[in-house]
Amino acid sequence: MAEHTVASFDEDLRQISRLINDMGDLAGSMVGGSTRALLESDNALAQRVVSDDAIMDARQRELDDRAITLIAKRQPMADDLRHVVGSIRMAGDLERIGDLAKNIAKRVGSVGVSTAPRDLTHSIDSMAQLVLIQVQGVIQEYTVGDATALAKLRNDDERIDVKYTSVFRELLTYMMEDPRNITACTHLLFCAKNLERIGDHVTNIAENAYYVLTGTQLPANRPKQDETAMSAPAA
Amino acid sequence: MKPMLSTDLNVADTIVEKAKIEVKNLNFYYGQSKALKDINLSLPERSVTAFIGPSGCGKSTLLRVLNRIYELYPKQSAEGQVLLDGKNILDRSQDLNLLRTKIGMVFQKPTPFPMSIYENIAFGVRLYEKISKAEMDSRVESALKRAALWNEVKDKLNASGQSLSGGQQQRLCIARTVAVKPEVILLDEPASALDPLSTAKIEELIDELQADYTIVIVTHNMQQAARVSRQTAFMYLGELVEFDRTEKIFTSPREKRTQDYITGRFG
Repeated sequence: MAEHTVASFDEDLRQISRLINDMGDLAGSMVGGSTRALLESDNALAQRVVSDDAIMDARQRELDDRAITLIAKRQPMADDLRHVVGSIRMAGDLERIGDLAKNIAKRVGSVGVSTAPRDLTHSIDSMAQLVLIQVQGVIQEYTVGDATALAKLRNDDERIDVKYTSVFRELLTYMMEDPRNITACTHLLFCAKNLERIGDHVTNIAENAYYVLTGTQLPANRPKQDETAMSAPAA
Repeated sequence: MKPMLSTDLNVADTIVEKAKIEVKNLNFYYGQSKALKDINLSLPERSVTAFIGPSGCGKSTLLRVLNRIYELYPKQSAEGQVLLDGKNILDRSQDLNLLRTKIGMVFQKPTPFPMSIYENIAFGVRLYEKISKAEMDSRVESALKRAALWNEVKDKLNASGQSLSGGQQQRLCIARTVAVKPEVILLDEPASALDPLSTAKIEELIDELQADYTIVIVTHNMQQAARVSRQTAFMYLGELVEFDRTEKIFTSPREKRTQDYITGRFG
């Protein structure tokens, strides 16, 4: 893309892109850190994730300020306008991902290593891997400008939903087998739900990024495979 | 309803309302130099269309063809068709006075006549109609009301039109245009010499007038085009590059040249 006649306009846009990249990196590190802390009962790591959330919030506020100033000063049009508005929305989703990762990190102490045997956490681990790939992928594809990859990535959220359904059933089974698992499994269930919600935010980011790059919206419907609402025991 | 569409690929298929003006294969020359190149365009009735583009792109020229005002100058000629309600106004048999009552024009610089506010409006009406004093009074009042100027001038209708502020003078010119009951109003940079408040009043006025008139506006101010128009034509070097719904042009134009121009990446 050619440079603007007003060079400082390009610099303003670059700063917004840089903030989105920073927030994307931070989101990836928080999601990875929180699940590792959970699976390894690493309280120090969990604490770092909690404090990272304050950085995430500050980045989002900075991006909002810069975007609003840019709109007021430059009145961006077309792809510039989509870039600025899309960044505000993507930053909102990244900030929420930070919140959800923080929520997982805060449960680390409650789950406890002794009450969370390896087979109980195995499924969460593989679900977390899927989510992490999505979080890291979405910002990367946006940065390189690959709209096709973003459309695919958005549909890949289905795999997280399927995984969540299976984790949900598995944890229910553990709880029914041995009531002593209930406390740990309930916390893990919340963690799994948080991971599933992170996947949804990645989907939003992918949709926004696709619109920024192409100027067209992805179709409203995408495959949905979270069946936990249907498979929940009638209680 | 018959779709009022040009076959030009860059003209959006979404603009399918009844066309008031259809421009077909229009070429325009200043002497030997070609200023408009094969323009095809449909302007929907009772709606605002904006022409944008860099200086010298032909947008004002195109506007000046629509009421044949270019004929006031030597060595300027147009080829092709401009259909007003299906009738070619470029035809030699077209009565120019009649054409200019149907298609009114307001210029960049306010041009009130050196006479009273009342006479500025009555003067044009008298050229075309013989009406009583009472009817004229009511015509002047309704034109001034239509141009959102009545409340500011009703107590000084005998004051000179030139004593008004720039923004008021421009609204007086719009009132003068409206008074002869045109069908189309052409606005050539109507607010470029006005302060933001006067500009806002003109834009508000355009918004109201489009219920009754087909409006075409040439503007260098892209935010203004985005605010006031329903469809926008981007012109460059005498060509119509893209014509589409205004929100499409300003959020995701199809043509790279349009994108570069409206985002400030040109040249």
